[in-house]
Amino acid sequence: MNNVKKLLMVTKRSAFVLLFILSFVLPLTLSQKIFASEAPAQVAQEGPVSGVPLPQFEGGQMSGSSQSPEGQPVTGVGTETAIAAAAEEEEVAPVQYRTFFGIDSRLVLWIVSELHLMFAAFVLGVPIFAVIVEIVGFKGGDIKYDKMAKEFTKLLSAAFATTASLGGLLGFCLFGLYPEFMGHMTNVFAPTMYVYALMFFGEAFTLYGYYYSWEILQGTAAKKWFHISLGVMLNLFGTGLMFLTNSWATYMMSPAGIVPATGKVLSLYHAMYNPLWMPVNIHRLIANVCFGGFVVGAYAAVKFLGAKTEEEKAHYDWMGYVGNFIGVGALIPLPFAGYWLGREVYSSSPVMGNIMMGGAFSWTFIIQAILIGMLFIGVNYYLWLGMGRIKGSERYTKFIKYLIFVIFLCFAVWLTPHNLPLSGEERAMIGEQYHPFSKYFGVMAAKNAVVNLIILATFFSFLIYRRSNKGEMVPFSEQGRTGKIGIFSALIFCLLMLVSYAVSLNFVELEANIKVFVNPLIRALYIQAFVVCLAAFLTFKNKGKLAQTLLFAVTACIAVLYFWYYAFQVMQKANLVLRYLSVTQVSIVMSCLIMNAIIDVFMFRKAKLVGGIVWGKMPVRSQYALLLLCIVIVILMGLMGFIRSGLRMDWHIYGVLQDTSPWAYTPTLSYMGRVVGLIVVLFLGLVAFVFWLANLGEKKEKAKPKEYKYEGAEEDYENTH
Amino acid sequence: MANKRKTFLLIWVLTAVGCLFVFLKYASPKIFQVLMAKDHPMPMPSTLMMWYMIMGVLAGLVYATTSNQKFADFLSFLLPGSGSLIKSFLQKMLFVGFPVLVGWFVYTWAIPGAASPVELRIQHPTLPQDFEKLENPLRQKDEETQRKSIEEGKILFQTYCRPCHGSKADGNGPFANSFRLRPINFQDPGTIATVVDNYLFWRIKEGAPGLPSEATPWDSAMPSWKDDLKDDEIWMIIMGEYDTAGVMPRQREKLE
Repeated sequence: MNNVKKLLMVTKRSAFVLLFILSFVLPLTLSQKIFASEAPAQVAQEGPVSGVPLPQFEGGQMSGSSQSPEGQPVTGVGTETAIAAAAEEEEVAPVQYRTFFGIDSRLVLWIVSELHLMFAAFVLGVPIFAVIVEIVGFKGGDIKYDKMAKEFTKLLSAAFATTASLGGLLGFCLFGLYPEFMGHMTNVFAPTMYVYALMFFGEAFTLYGYYYSWEILQGTAAKKWFHISLGVMLNLFGTGLMFLTNSWATYMMSPAGIVPATGKVLSLYHAMYNPLWMPVNIHRLIANVCFGGFVVGAYAAVKFLGAKTEEEKAHYDWMGYVGNFIGVGALIPLPFAGYWLGREVYSSSPVMGNIMMGGAFSWTFIIQAILIGMLFIGVNYYLWLGMGRIKGSERYTKFIKYLIFVIFLCFAVWLTPHNLPLSGEERAMIGEQYHPFSKYFGVMAAKNAVVNLIILATFFSFLIYRRSNKGEMVPFSEQGRTGKIGIFSALIFCLLMLVSYAVSLNFVELEANIKVFVNPLIRALYIQAFVVCLAAFLTFKNKGKLAQTLLFAVTACIAVLYFWYYAFQVMQKANLVLRYLSVTQVSIVMSCLIMNAIIDVFMFRKAKLVGGIVWGKMPVRSQYALLLLCIVIVILMGLMGFIRSGLRMDWHIYGVLQDTSPWAYTPTLSYMGRVVGLIVVLFLGLVAFVFWLANLGEKKEKAKPKEYKYEGAEEDYENTH
Repeated sequence: MANKRKTFLLIWVLTAVGCLFVFLKYASPKIFQVLMAKDHPMPMPSTLMMWYMIMGVLAGLVYATTSNQKFADFLSFLLPGSGSLIKSFLQKMLFVGFPVLVGWFVYTWAIPGAASPVELRIQHPTLPQDFEKLENPLRQKDEETQRKSIEEGKILFQTYCRPCHGSKADGNGPFANSFRLRPINFQDPGTIATVVDNYLFWRIKEGAPGLPSEATPWDSAMPSWKDDLKDDEIWMIIMGEYDTAGVMPRQREKLE
């Protein structure tokens, strides 16, 4: 039986079940509607419902005979009229909230908006992924990249329609259930809403243009570049759409550009460019790429698990690897972007910041820590398992146990809460407020330190993975001009980043007693700049491995150990410096990653290959790791959506428009967990359904022979890196 | 010889997990007692113990499954086959020891006993909106006035706060031992240094009775001082309190 028949059968069955349910539900709903609509109908007979005082008529009389000559309203005509007037008054009062067929409006909105956001993240993240992959394929001349990019764009078209449908539903829910709030939002953002609609057209046209012109725009470089530029346009429209909607969402958290008391709009620009707009933009942009990568990885994993031939397995193994690679690439800067957003939340409202990290939402951040830890363990685990398919990796597997030790140790610190759940007996035995573990591990100083160490360890995992297939390093003198230019470029970039920030720190406006705390940061940046120069020098002297070791060691000492200690000092005396400390920490770690990566590329650029990569030779558990990564990031997105929205507590627009609905309370962790769980299941179910739909027409094509082979594993490996 | 050693992977993992347990349960309380110069051990809270042990087991399983060879070695210990006397002995120990261990866990969980419930505590309950926009008026004054306020604040602190919070604001006042949850050590960088001045103003003025409902369960013996102290005096106490503890309040940041 083919799939179309199956689909028809499923549709028939679904329609029958739907009709069966409707036959019960409709009479009930209609009867409620009929009864509910009686009062307005009566009011409509008795007079207009608008607030304008128009002539009134007495019941049972002809309108013409009862109207006073002056056309004035009739007054004092008895109880019925008074009731009618009261009903009129009631109708005239603006509606603040409605319910969704008796269901909790907030719950409905929560589910719909989160599903829309998740699909939107997919629709925004995957095009970035697709265009990057297409460019890599085009520049490297490898058709399989091109095919993968197209495969995902096909999925994208199906997901796009679902995103738009959910967006429409969200809009209707917002306007229907929260009319007063949406009145305010429309009042402030009406002009941007038209721009949004126009950009949506732009995205739709470029997406379908990008997908349907794929085959037409093949052949010449000019055609391909035109196609790629369509993809870039698609991303620009998508990113623009996200930025616009972000401005609405962040305005609700940190309103600006209005008079709070009256809601009068002073500046649309400031309402859009509110304090949290850019941090959320950056965080979401990176998170979407990460999300896209892991969803692609999960798609490949499902395909891998169902693959019938070795060739299919090889293809989907490779696809899973690329998805994971892009996911982890975006995951590395994500904590930095998240930290920036967190700091800006504190800056815009210290109270909201305290609610977030020390108050009602602090426990959700422990859940977040567990999920982020799982992501890092998952990506590392997948890389370690991937070494099994590379001949020559045996030389590096000895490092895995140390990496596991470091990563799990960091994970332990990462999730240790400042406030522990304690019994009375435990409290009495500890004898003070905090156990030493929670005292020293539970604050941001420790968490920032260990997350940097996790990032360094993950990067180290990646380095040994990419080295697995390489023989001995090639002397740097043999790398020619390209090598020199590469190392110099990386050096200059890192120096600019480190030194310019160090110089700028000299000019920060702080009180003298606080500014002294900035000096160690400046010194740390200069030390790292010196070490980066030294690493470049050692690389030129064919001591690249020593250079890399030095970089790792110094970075870990400064950004992890020293700043762990120093952040405690700063916390006590000069919290304003924490902002600069975290940027310094990030800059130092980033310079280590960039310089190390470039040195590694040129150390092994022309190295002999030890063996090939046998794509498809992956244990099944590696694919479950990919699935886990996807599920975890979806849960994480659901959780963070709840936190971002919930931080406003009982405000629609923080400090401006209060939420007076019955659902204004902050949900319990248990309730939140159930709702987020439901959303995750719904999203994954819908995605699976959409992917299945998108692949319906492709089944027969699989019987055709593939255009590319996987025997040339060396080339694959080179291109993947 | 190398292969023989690998077949003990399961035992190595179990040993590592066992060592972790011993360290957390027995060694760390003593180590912290020495490091923190306490007169009593600092026992590991049960929640943390559980989390760390889960992670220890997870780390062992991750290590044992990072390659097919390791995974096979790991499982091979459970399978019957020819092996050394030591392996045979350890296998028997494992098959007897594991059910005993599970039984012990079940017994300790199920045995009737009296224990107070574990409480999920919120460190910083939500500051009411009325207090959010408040600014400490004394911080706006000239240096001389601020210095005087600090001195007066210190006197007020010693008068009203010292009995519980201690003369050094370290939570070791003469009454401190009489509370189930000891008064907060303000010298700890994770306490008053992480909040703004007006947060303290709210806590001093309203005390435990003024805490919002979401802050429960909250054991706090903090009295409400609104009937005994004027607002100016509370602001002065805040100035003196920070100075005594040697920390600074969180300052409002300029948005970038």
